[in-house]
Amino acid sequence: MRQLTAFIGKEGLEVIRTGKATILALVFILFGILNPAIAKLTPWMFALMSESMAGMGLSASAIEVNALTSWAQFYKNAPLVLIVFLLLFAGILTRERSKGTLVPLVTKGLNRWAIIASKGIVLVASWSIGYWVCYGITYGYTAYFWDNGAASHLLFSAFCVYVLGVWLISLILPLSIFLASGSGVMLGVGGLFAVVYVIGLLPEAAKYLPTRLLEASTLIQGTGRLSEYAIAIGISLLWSALNICIAALLFKRQAL
Amino acid sequence: MSILTLSQVSKSFGGHPVVHDLSFSVRERSIFGFIGQNGAGKTTTMKMILGLLPADQGEIKVNGERVLFGQTPTNRHIGYLSDVPEFYGFMTAIEYLALCGKITGMTPAAYKRKSAELLELVGLKKIDQRIQGFSRGMKQRLGIAQALLNDPLLLICDEPTSALDPVGRKEVLELLLLVKNHTTVVFSTHILSDVERICDELAFLHKGRIVSSGTLRQIKESPQHSGLKLELEFDSENDRDRFKALFPDSLFTAPRTLRLDQRMEADMLDILRVLTEHQLPVRRIEKLEHSLEDLFTELVRE
Repeated sequence: MRQLTAFIGKEGLEVIRTGKATILALVFILFGILNPAIAKLTPWMFALMSESMAGMGLSASAIEVNALTSWAQFYKNAPLVLIVFLLLFAGILTRERSKGTLVPLVTKGLNRWAIIASKGIVLVASWSIGYWVCYGITYGYTAYFWDNGAASHLLFSAFCVYVLGVWLISLILPLSIFLASGSGVMLGVGGLFAVVYVIGLLPEAAKYLPTRLLEASTLIQGTGRLSEYAIAIGISLLWSALNICIAALLFKRQAL
Repeated sequence: MSILTLSQVSKSFGGHPVVHDLSFSVRERSIFGFIGQNGAGKTTTMKMILGLLPADQGEIKVNGERVLFGQTPTNRHIGYLSDVPEFYGFMTAIEYLALCGKITGMTPAAYKRKSAELLELVGLKKIDQRIQGFSRGMKQRLGIAQALLNDPLLLICDEPTSALDPVGRKEVLELLLLVKNHTTVVFSTHILSDVERICDELAFLHKGRIVSSGTLRQIKESPQHSGLKLELEFDSENDRDRFKALFPDSLFTAPRTLRLDQRMEADMLDILRVLTEHQLPVRRIEKLEHSLEDLFTELVRE
């Protein structure tokens, strides 16, 4: 436990001093503001577009925006935020292996499971803080401009996308054992997501897979039932925990 | 007593043997030089001692305990310094040593006291910049401080001077001599003058095998290196050439000087007799000591 807290401290300091915390804060806050802002600006942009469309002989009627428009934007932007997060953290273990920074600490007796657990904890904590800050900002501005009551199951549907993020992030560590660079890990995460997504196109498999959670955004429109996502949430969380355990087991036997 | 023992250790990479049937031991409170060319298997051997690489065969013991691959408890006895140590650039030296102290289970008071003491020893006490701004020499000195933080019984240094300038090399060697009083040092290198300067015992590693080992004196006096090395300086180049014609295997070392390697004691009399018979006056005739470089070159050639 002493080693775990010491290494979590090091990971935390690294996130802050290497500027990752600043980038994450900017991205999550920016997207949190952009979601309702884009919804708010949509009628104005639409009006601008309709003027030029009228010039081409096309007509467009005015559109109405509400809280659902803002939340729809949140779910559109969530994958982008997740990609930025993965880009920042994909090299969290491969960089240390290639540079050799772990060698002095492992030869001082640092347990390898503590390395994996610390990195896993810092990854999930960074994602959790960033994601829920983004959610909170979107929630606040949406409540200011419209009424969040128009959207159903807001927290639950956001939780589904959060869990999907946790699952994708947890893939970084086991992939880092086999792949040599952060870009390789990034491609690996993308590849695995694509494979699971394709399998999820089969109706019999869909409800068991993490990619099912992408559809949870439809819950805010009042369609679908919460129970339809329970299995996917359970499997995603279990798979995430398994990813960390597999990474720890494999890393213990890896030559450094 | 031996602090480190390797018994018949072998290691291959992709079917290519890198270390073959390696056996040696290192006695306590000595500096053991592990000499070999690049690719001789020095780093591989050190990584096996540290449990960072698995041995294919054989057994390694540190302080009587067997080394295990992956997570070896024997590392609590060891301090390790690599050729180009890598640290976290975003930390300061004091923060890095605090991290090492926490990992090794030292109390905050103990690692703070020891860190200050070691940073003073390696000349980094007044440096509060982050490690990313450190020169190679500064990193090497920080490496020594981190390796010695928990008072290890065994300090393993993998080519600690190879990336340093002469001043940095001298500093590191002096530090190693200083720690010898309470820590055994295993020191790999291909810089032979460093070995002559600080090592008590040494082993020559060539193509993954130990080809010679012992104290420097024992190695120099061993039968395989006992041949004479003579240097003769002549009065004129003409005399030199006449002698060269009689001893074609002699080598030019200066305009009027020739060197004869690997002669038997009996040859000395023959040479003196030849010089007298052929009326070849010499200004100087000298029996030279074999240098470590000569021995190394000879061993590698064999």
